[in-house]
Amino acid sequence: MADEQVVRAEGLRKRFGKHVALDGLSLSVPQGQLYGLAGPNGAGKTTLIRTLCGLLRPDEGEARLLGWRMPNTRVRSQLGYMPQDFAVYDDLSVMQNLEFFGELYSLRRAHVRERADELLHLVQLSDRRRDRVGSLSGGMRRRVSLAISLLHKPRLAFLDEPTAGVDPKLRRSFWDYFSALAEQDVTLVVTTHLVEEAQRCHVVGFLMAGRLLTQGTPDEILRETGKTNLDDAFIELQERNEVKS
Amino acid sequence: MTSFAVMKNVLRRIVRDIRTMALIVILPLFFVLLYGNSFSGSYSDLEIVVVNADNGLASVRTAELGRITLAPHLASAFVDALDPKTFSVTTLDDADAALASVGDGVWAALVFPSSFSNTVVNEAVRAGGRTRVRFQGNTVTVLPSDRVDTPPTTLVVDDSNPLIAAAVLEALNVAFAKVLATQQSSLTADSLLEVRPLYEGKIEMLDFTAPGIIGFAMTLITIMLTAMAVVRERTGGTLTRILIAPASAWQVTLGYTLAFSLIAIFQAAELLIASILLFHIRFVGSPGAVVLVVFLFAVGLQGLATLISTLAKNEAQAMQFVLFLLIPSIMLSGVFWPLESMPAAMRPFSYAIPLTYANSALRKVMLTGSGLGELGFELSVLGAIALVTLVLSVLSMRRQAYTA
Repeated sequence: MADEQVVRAEGLRKRFGKHVALDGLSLSVPQGQLYGLAGPNGAGKTTLIRTLCGLLRPDEGEARLLGWRMPNTRVRSQLGYMPQDFAVYDDLSVMQNLEFFGELYSLRRAHVRERADELLHLVQLSDRRRDRVGSLSGGMRRRVSLAISLLHKPRLAFLDEPTAGVDPKLRRSFWDYFSALAEQDVTLVVTTHLVEEAQRCHVVGFLMAGRLLTQGTPDEILRETGKTNLDDAFIELQERNEVKS
Repeated sequence: MTSFAVMKNVLRRIVRDIRTMALIVILPLFFVLLYGNSFSGSYSDLEIVVVNADNGLASVRTAELGRITLAPHLASAFVDALDPKTFSVTTLDDADAALASVGDGVWAALVFPSSFSNTVVNEAVRAGGRTRVRFQGNTVTVLPSDRVDTPPTTLVVDDSNPLIAAAVLEALNVAFAKVLATQQSSLTADSLLEVRPLYEGKIEMLDFTAPGIIGFAMTLITIMLTAMAVVRERTGGTLTRILIAPASAWQVTLGYTLAFSLIAIFQAAELLIASILLFHIRFVGSPGAVVLVVFLFAVGLQGLATLISTLAKNEAQAMQFVLFLLIPSIMLSGVFWPLESMPAAMRPFSYAIPLTYANSALRKVMLTGSGLGELGFELSVLGAIALVTLVLSVLSMRRQAYTA
């Protein structure tokens, strides 16, 4: 089980009109890996995640999650997805949001409450659980969104910029939690712009213009680019590719 | 269970939103108050001018008694018989001035010549009315009279507004009929035309328009609410989130359908009860039949609204598309004027509008008390529309989640 490829994508190609969002991208992520997706804006990170989740159909290639070719409904109960936008109901309370999605995953009420306690503690919103989500700040709403994504204990989760707008201290505790999940064999694919986050990933993939330019542990990427920090390494990768094209 | 959760979620969010609740609860009342007070179909205070030069004393020759006087003063009786609510009558002496006044706020001028009473009675006798009449306890034989050339009664009507002109003529006719009936019953052509209404109780214009207005209010509110809700769900990203959970587009659509059908049934009930209590709208059918019509209608409407939301990038665009659906619904569904009065080329469009069938079905139930058996056609068309739009909106939901 340990070396099972939970995410496997081959030759994914996706265009929007003239714009090529994914350009023959292949990727595999084994179980329990914390995989970081880095790359400049518009590199195709969100498109890749949406394609992997089955929300977009690739023009070419195929994506498999947990062995199932996507899109596939059987994966859903084991799949967590946190979109880049908040995707929460502003007009409901934090708890009502969790309860609704809990119902969609057919979780028992008591179980939802238990999980809510745990996750709201993690995202530090325990005292705001009765508040309307619309009254929370942007960062807090994103924290609600994260709690929803992990509510049903997915085996595999795609988190699209889960820490945008979240303060550094809380960001660190999020990543502690992600690492803990990975240790429990949960596979996580997380997009990020932040170097210190990328450093905490087991493997980082650097995406640009719809292609995976490089992939490896943070140390391997530093070695490959001859840089001492990931920021410089990413800039180096980006510039190399710009020269090529 | 999933559909139920979605339904509960939609309803819960609507209940928490004061503005939407106001739309759902207050707008129907607003509709009822407006149409009840404006679409009554009866006219009031129409100004008319009357010149009454009638000498009165209509007499006929009889075999037994010579000339007898039957009606003392028909023109005055006629003026008295004019409905005081419909007309505001000004009496003038100058016929020319009266006729000239028409058009400027005055809808009609009526000039009775001096021989009016006599002419009416003699014409009635000559035209073969009763030849025997009761007079002071005796039955006497009326002798046919000779035709005398007399100046005609003149009526000038401002026909710039055909609806009012028609209403004036009808009200004048009603007054004439009353006079003939009450003045000298033996002279009325009582059996020439016997009018027997098919349904008991008079069906007023307001009764006739009410079912359509109720259907239209439902169309407006259901389509607006659904389109906005679906667009909001999509642009907020929650639709994607729902559909990536183990909830199928079918279950989500069904949840939406249940929620908005419940709201539509609530609104229809509110519209009906308010119309009945405030304006005594005719309702002779079964409430159960109305619920079924309203449910099928609402499912179709929410399906159409979901389709509209596919086309709209945001809520403002959704509203624009909603208008495209609403305007033909008002014009072509037979709510205000019958389909029979539309050019044949337009009728196929009428038959493509759900409100046409809802209106027809509600009219049948409310006005004539039709049961389910008599609504077979309307119910099957509404059911078919509901089914087709439901299937299409499932596809549309899926598309919206995957392309948001």
